[in-house]
This record gives sequence, structure tokens and C-alpha cells, in this order.
Amino acid sequence: MELNIPKLPVGDGIEAFINFTTDHFSFITRAISDITETGLDALIEGMLFFNPIVLILIFTALIYKFSTRRIAISSFAGLLFIWNLGLWEATISTLALVIIATMVSVAVGVPLGITAALYKSFHRVLMPILDFMQTMPAFVYLIPAIPFFGLGPVSAIFTTVIFSMPPAIRLTSLGIQQVPTELIEAADAFGSTKKQKLFKLQLPIAMPTIMAGINQTIMLALSMVVIAAMIGAGGLGGEVWRSIQRLWMGRGFEAGIAVVIIAMILDRVTQKLSEKK
Amino acid sequence: MKRFINLLLAAMIAVMMTGTAFAKDKEVELVYVEWARAVAITHVAGEILEEMMGYDVKLNSVANAAMWASVASGDSDALLCAWLPNTHADLYAKYKNEVEDLGPNYVNAKLGLVVPSYVNIDSIADMKDNIDKFDGKIIGIDPGAGMSKSTEKAIQNNTSGLGDFEYVSGSDAIMVATLANAIKRDEWIAVPGWQPHWMFGEWDLKILQDPDKIYGTSETINTIVRENLKEDQPEAYEFFKNFDWKQIDLSPVLVKNKDGMDPEDSAEEFVKNNMDKIKELLQAAK
Repeated sequence: MELNIPKLPVGDGIEAFINFTTDHFSFITRAISDITETGLDALIEGMLFFNPIVLILIFTALIYKFSTRRIAISSFAGLLFIWNLGLWEATISTLALVIIATMVSVAVGVPLGITAALYKSFHRVLMPILDFMQTMPAFVYLIPAIPFFGLGPVSAIFTTVIFSMPPAIRLTSLGIQQVPTELIEAADAFGSTKKQKLFKLQLPIAMPTIMAGINQTIMLALSMVVIAAMIGAGGLGGEVWRSIQRLWMGRGFEAGIAVVIIAMILDRVTQKLSEKK
Repeated sequence: MKRFINLLLAAMIAVMMTGTAFAKDKEVELVYVEWARAVAITHVAGEILEEMMGYDVKLNSVANAAMWASVASGDSDALLCAWLPNTHADLYAKYKNEVEDLGPNYVNAKLGLVVPSYVNIDSIADMKDNIDKFDGKIIGIDPGAGMSKSTEKAIQNNTSGLGDFEYVSGSDAIMVATLANAIKRDEWIAVPGWQPHWMFGEWDLKILQDPDKIYGTSETINTIVRENLKEDQPEAYEFFKNFDWKQIDLSPVLVKNKDGMDPEDSAEEFVKNNMDKIKELLQAAK
């Protein structure tokens, strides 16, 4: 059966919107892009300034401080292995990209999550948007990002943030909502203000859940690494992307293994952090 | 910890200032897709711009649509691998007002269905009689490529009797890998292919005749630059416009890249070995 309703011009509308915003606002996004890029370059250059072995030792020390000895030792071995594969620079630029994307996601996501937990109506509006962000295939954001942020890492960060922010928001909101009502009532009974309640009771109790959200954000950001390579993000994703296309199977796996090592280190460390809190 | 952060911030600011102090006056960004000839020519061009013309060159390997979008938005300066009029027809139609076509850098590129030469038919029209041997499939490249669309259209319209075939789309790499595997097992296979491509040097292949012009007539590979390149970087613009790529035989680079040499190294070697000829061409271009 054929319905005689004309197709809704959703795609055309979106395209018109993108074209309009590109024409009128791209100077803003371009400026953001320039600033982000200098920051990113500085971060990468800063990290590459150190001899790899020195940096690996610094990382290992930091990991030891924030987690356990076992994790520190295996991270040390993993990082040495990556260096040995000749993927150190690629790893650093991937790491910088993931760090910046995660920082943006957390800086935007956690406050949004708190707001959503405190205001029901905001929660109701936000959730479908999050569903959209999380399930829309990430490829779809890639090409429209180019007119706004240019080719390269900044577009990659932008798409990565969209893709990886939802868990930070969701779990922050969930964590605060799960604070037992008895405790809230007790706090109310002692006459605490909203602000006191939030910072001294709700946030500390919700902390493990929030950290779990941040952990997931990091993992999603890493999973975007290869997809973002399609628009020239470089780093380990770029290595994978080039290798696949040149049929350099071994090289592709090497770069892939490096991504896995980085993911495992970041995952274990953030998990330990949330346990400690 | 706080001191460390302060230090880091100071370093960042310092880098930012030096970054803006060296204004980008002699900088060229090229984009390309990972197709054999595109990789070769882009790296050779980059090498010439960098070593002989003193440019700061950045090469970016990206997806097909991203390549066009980035030149159209003025973010990259040029791409040297626009297959026209068929393969990139859609992308060219979309962006033609925002880019400048500097004409072909390779002519007589051929598109068609490629089979190993032991497959004893010569025309696409004969494929239908051997559909079982082909397992009813044509193993394809990316779904968005012009050749994929042409093949799918031919199947839909039963052009040359292809109606019962199935087009399995994947990617360039998957197509080549499947072809290699089939040749190893002496199996029949048909894939969309194009010349120039290293696979013709690697295996004994032939392009099937195309009596119904499914893949059009021959193609050219063009150089596309961004709008305003002429004003911003006249020297680079002249280089792209006048440098006659058609007179340069890139096959040594193609073969070396195929054998696993890093395209940067093979381009460097190529430019070194052909210095005289390149200088001559650059001179003629002026």
C-alpha cells in the first residue's frame, strides 16, 4: 500500500540549517577551532618534549600514585611495548585528543547531569536528546563538522564530544537521584540550604557513579579514534585507517593493539579512582 | 601539582604565541584518499613543494567525501585525485561552485569490470552465461563510489544481462583482498576496477569490454584547488595549474608503494631520481 503523503523534507531542512549556520556563524566555530588546535598542539608538543622513556616513567609514577602497583607495572610494560612498535608519537596525539575531548565532555556533562537530577522537567527534555546523540551513527557528524571546524583533530574532538558525553550526563544524574531519601530528609531537617545539600551530601555520595560515567566517556572517546581518522584526526586512528586501506594488515593490528593498551590503562586507572573516592 | 599546572600553562601560552608569530605564508595543505595513484601523486607533489619550492607541506589522508568537503570549505588547498566525469560526479556537482577545477593531471583512466585473465570471457555481456562460476556476485568497493552506483544501476536495469547478479559493496581494500584470494584459488571473480592501479602490475588481469557503456567512456583524473588559492598563494596555484603531471610516469612509485615502501620515502626517492625532468617541467611551467 502506498500512502499519498509527500515525504517530509527532513534532510533538506537539516542541510539548509547546516548551510545557513556555516554561512553566518562559522567565524565563531573557526575561532574556537584555532584556539583548540593551538591548545592541542601545545599539549602534544609538551608531551613529546620529553624523551619517551622519561614520559613513560612519569606516567607510570602518576598511575602508581592514583591506582595500584600491579596496574602501574603492567602500564609500564604496555607503554614500553607501544614505544617499541614505533607508535609513540601517534599514541601521544591520540592521548591528547582523548584527554581534551574527555575534559570538555566532563566540563559540560557533569553540570548538565546535576541540573537534570534537580529539575524534573529539564530531565524530561534532555533524555531524548541524549538518546539521539548516543545512537546516531557517528559517521553522520563527520562531514558537516568540516565546514565548521576544518579538517583534522578539532572536528574529531567535536564529534567525539557529542558521541561520548551522554554517559557522563546520565550517570551524574542517576548518582544524585539515587542518594537515599532518608539522608535528604535528614539534611532538610537540619535546615541545610540547597547548595549545602548538593555539595556536602549529594555529590560526595554520587561520586562513584559519576566516576563510572567519566570512565565510560573516556572509553567511548577512544572508540571514536578510528572513525575520526576519516576526517584526518591522525594519531593511532590514522595509523589504523591508513593500514586498513593500504592492506598493511600487520601494521593495522599493531596500531589496534596500541589502542587497546591505552584503553585498558585508562579504564583501570579511572576505575581505581572511583573505588577510592 | 599546582606548580606543575602553572608551568604547563606557561608553556602552552608560549607555544601559542610562537605559533601565531610565524604566520602561515608558505604553507600548503593537500588532502587525498588512499587510492594507489592518489597516494603516489600527492606525496610526489608534496615532496616537490617542500624540497624545491620551500613550502611547509601537510598531507592528510581522509575519506572521499571529507576530502572534497575540506577543499570546498577552504580548509585544504588542493586535491590531486578527482576522478571525473563519473566517479566523483556527485561530489563535483555538490561542490563545483566552491572549488576550482584545474583540469586533468592524468588522461585515459579506465573504469570497468576487472577479471583475472584466466577467466575466458571478454565482455560484460558474457557474464550472465557464467553466473554460476561467478557465484552470482560482483565484489565491490565503497557504497558511495561512482562505480558502485553504475554497477547497481546496471543490475537494476538488467543492462548487459547483469540483472541476476548481486553487488556486494565493501571497500577498495576488501575488493583487492578478495581478488587476491580468488586468484590464489583459481576462482572466477569480477570486481569494479580502474587503471591506473597497482593490481594490474601485480596480477594478470583484464578489463571486460563494456558494450552498453555502463561505466561511461574513459575518465580523467583532475586537480582541484580551493577558491581564492590564486590570490592567497599565487606560486602554489601556478604550480598546480601548470605542472604537467601527464608527462611524469609515476609507475615506479606505484610499484614501490605496493611493495610496502612508505609513500613518503618512495616519493622522495622518485623526486631525487627525476630531478632534471622535474626541474625542466617547473621551468616550462613558468
